[in-house]
Amino acid sequence: MVSSVRPRLFGARVARVEDPRFLMGRAKYVDDITLPGMIHATFVRSPFAHAEITSINVADALNVKGVIGVRTGRDLEGVVKPIRCDPVPIHPTWQTSAADAIATARVRYVGEAVAMVLAEDRYIAEDGAALVEIDYDPLEAVSTIDKAISADAPLLHDGWRDNVILKTSVSGGDVDSAFAEADGIIKMKVRTNRHAAIPLETRGTVASYDPAEELLTFWTATQAPHIVRTGIADHLGMPEHRIRVISPDVGGGFGVKAHLYPEDLALAAIAVELARPIKWIEDRREHFLASTHSREHVYDMEVAYRADGLILGMKSHIYVDCGAYSVYPWTAGMEQGMAMRILPGPYRIRNFEAQAWGVVTNKSTLGPYRGVARPSACFAIERAMDRVAHAVNGDPVDVRMLNLVDGSEFPYESITGLTYDSGSFKESLQKVRENIDYDEFRLIQRDARAEGRLLGIGVACFTEQTAHTTTEFVKRAAPIIPANETVAIRMDPSGKVTVHTGAHSHGQSHETTIGQIVADKLTIPLKDVRVLFGDTQTTPYGTGTLASRTAVLSGGAAMQASGQIGERLKILGAHILEASVEDVELEEGQVRIKGAPEQNIEVAQLARFVYHRAEKLPPGFDPYLEATGAYDAFPGSGTFANASQMAIVEVDPETGGVTILRYVVVEDCGPMINPTVVEGQVQGGIAQGIGGALYEELIYDDEGQLLTTTFLDYLVPSTMEVPGIEVGHLETPSPFTIGGMKGAGEGGAIAPGAVIAAAVENAIGIANGVFVDEVPLTPERVRKLVVAAAQVRGSDR
Amino acid sequence: MSDSGSEKAVIRLQVNGRELEGVAEPRRLLSDFIRHDLGMTGTHVGCEHGVCGACTILLDGDAVRSCLMFAVQAEGSVITTIEGLGQTRDDMDVIQRAFWESHGLQCGFCTPGMVLATKDLLERTPMPTDDQIREGLAGNMCRCTGYVFIVKAVKAAAEELNARASVDG
Repeated sequence: MVSSVRPRLFGARVARVEDPRFLMGRAKYVDDITLPGMIHATFVRSPFAHAEITSINVADALNVKGVIGVRTGRDLEGVVKPIRCDPVPIHPTWQTSAADAIATARVRYVGEAVAMVLAEDRYIAEDGAALVEIDYDPLEAVSTIDKAISADAPLLHDGWRDNVILKTSVSGGDVDSAFAEADGIIKMKVRTNRHAAIPLETRGTVASYDPAEELLTFWTATQAPHIVRTGIADHLGMPEHRIRVISPDVGGGFGVKAHLYPEDLALAAIAVELARPIKWIEDRREHFLASTHSREHVYDMEVAYRADGLILGMKSHIYVDCGAYSVYPWTAGMEQGMAMRILPGPYRIRNFEAQAWGVVTNKSTLGPYRGVARPSACFAIERAMDRVAHAVNGDPVDVRMLNLVDGSEFPYESITGLTYDSGSFKESLQKVRENIDYDEFRLIQRDARAEGRLLGIGVACFTEQTAHTTTEFVKRAAPIIPANETVAIRMDPSGKVTVHTGAHSHGQSHETTIGQIVADKLTIPLKDVRVLFGDTQTTPYGTGTLASRTAVLSGGAAMQASGQIGERLKILGAHILEASVEDVELEEGQVRIKGAPEQNIEVAQLARFVYHRAEKLPPGFDPYLEATGAYDAFPGSGTFANASQMAIVEVDPETGGVTILRYVVVEDCGPMINPTVVEGQVQGGIAQGIGGALYEELIYDDEGQLLTTTFLDYLVPSTMEVPGIEVGHLETPSPFTIGGMKGAGEGGAIAPGAVIAAAVENAIGIANGVFVDEVPLTPERVRKLVVAAAQVRGSDR
Repeated sequence: MSDSGSEKAVIRLQVNGRELEGVAEPRRLLSDFIRHDLGMTGTHVGCEHGVCGACTILLDGDAVRSCLMFAVQAEGSVITTIEGLGQTRDDMDVIQRAFWESHGLQCGFCTPGMVLATKDLLERTPMPTDDQIREGLAGNMCRCTGYVFIVKAVKAAAEELNARASVDG
């Protein structure tokens, strides 16, 4: 095989091509867009978690100079259909909810939109909003899972049997026998509290309707512009070719911008009605109240184990708080399905049963957030691992090693029906153990204890389904199947390439990494490739950037499309060089004769011929250089990345404060397009995971009031809380994907809750029977654990 | 008709070396004035309550949060926004280049504030330790990077600036 002289870009630490515009302040986010005649919207939001709307009086608001109009839910009746996102096919236990674009009769969470005020500027719109008078009849609020499933709970939705939106189960093996044979059984209950993605840029939209063109242009901060277009079309009854969704630069998404929101529909409908551009930028308080939340789970588990620490079987009841409605297009079942099926994680658990309840509450709707359910499921299984290790007096790493799926078992069919295609479960655990100097730390820890310092170490392992498509989402009964991603590539007469992807990039670096793939395939410099996205008018249809899918699927599609262009360049080059196609190769931006590279023609020259010198083309050669590739990583069950993470923490027993001294990870996302980008994704994910482990919690009171609506109440980690994160790599290729690639976007965020919980527990002293069963580990919770441990010890601390 | 706005004031100030004049209500935030009245949208708004640091600008040489000031308070001041730093690939500031080379940004939303906060930090503490970098940037949230490569970028920028200073000196 002839090797390329030019170094391959795949695998290289290439600096990002998209950075200059961000560094110069020249990026264009949605709030940077200003259109002639643009007016501004603000929403009046419900102060009650659960109430009937009895009257709305907008007269005073309309009297404010500069207020242009007020719209309520009644104005949209017959114009906008409510969002009813049901699974397809509908599960027998499923109950349907309907979210109005603007609430008409009843509100079901604090922050639900009740009216929209339109004005010449945002300040005046807010003046008007303060004067909209709304009378409510408050109803009893359902603010917790326990209350939602209690016998006398008020029902959120009329006509429902109870507040369970979906009840599902999965089982396999022989659980009863496993429990009968066990040396011990642990009963445990753990929970992860509600938190959210919280990108630094809030949501926002500029909606503009041109009645002459009959075209709605909708700039919005979304990860999934095509899904938003379909959502608007379906709910407004507009044809999709009359809707153009543009998702410009987006200031972070992490899942919370990966779906349709009620506000989108209200803005679209009113922009069409008024035929004037409307801007709405969500403020931070609104973001906390009305953007989707995630990860509020309870796991009631029984774990059967053998004396050496091998897990023989597991039973689990899982409760997921879905908030008030079903999110489009993912449905309210999105977290419970994943939680149930990934709960065994990377461990060989062959006797398993789980039942899952999705319950509705008077809180903001459940939506995707980086890791989708897996941070909670990982927390549950890893808490179980530590409990088992404690019960058998084993080392937590050794017990995990005993239970991990071995490399020889891939492809491994999990007991819940997931196909783990490949991985390095044991290798990554071994390597992270070495990298953190595990054995050495035990000595340091002992010495520290002697000085009264509480140091602890924690570990967690996980496997993460990425780039899953058709078969997986059919199994999930998703109403819209995120199958392939599609990429269209065009080479212009100068031989330069423009790549259009239906996915998006808002931090993931796809302008660089997809560019690397295309440049490699066409053997041209990276600067000759431009990657464009975020405009439904110019890009092929795509699901969007979510679920760790873009590098694999858009990357694979880009490889296919650029390969097609490469083949056509070879046909033309061979014709010009008077050689057969089999005798030429594409190397260093030239088509050349194999073994005689001095006989060549530049790609740029060939591109010029295609468009401008038709007489040079072979008969039947179509005069363009364009290709489209679509890729769904067949069979679509996903490719599983994996990682092991460890941390060393110090607990201050007086304040309950936790300091992370080291955080070490060994991840495996297959062959990396750009290791620097992967490290950035891993570190960023871990920082978010640290937030969920120690600081971030959306706290509702009994009346359903959200108490954490500023960055002073809801604490996002800063430079002072996130340590240096040491990232090591393994690269196990997937047998299922082009290039063996696996997704890397979410992984970092999955394990930190489990890792930190284990480390804090280790620091405080699991030997005292004190177990961490909940995150985030706020100072208050840690202090309670310290006190409980001291009581067990009989100490007078 | 009620009119909740009050008399607009004329505001004269220097932004990125240019003398500018605008008109704003007393209640108008400096961040909105810069973004929407002066049209410099590189300054971003992430929380409007002074915590996230995305709206950081340099005002009379100090890093300040433009969402915590009214535009009228900036009368007569000298402001630097991200647009006052390098505006071509060739004239990028050392800090901008260090963020680029160290992968110190992902979505880019916090980046202008982060770069200006770094400028302020390095002017006060030309050779900061990692701890000093972390303390210096503790008021600027980034949700994407986990800060590891930001700290690396700031360190690289400090080293580059010090190397230049010693050559010049």
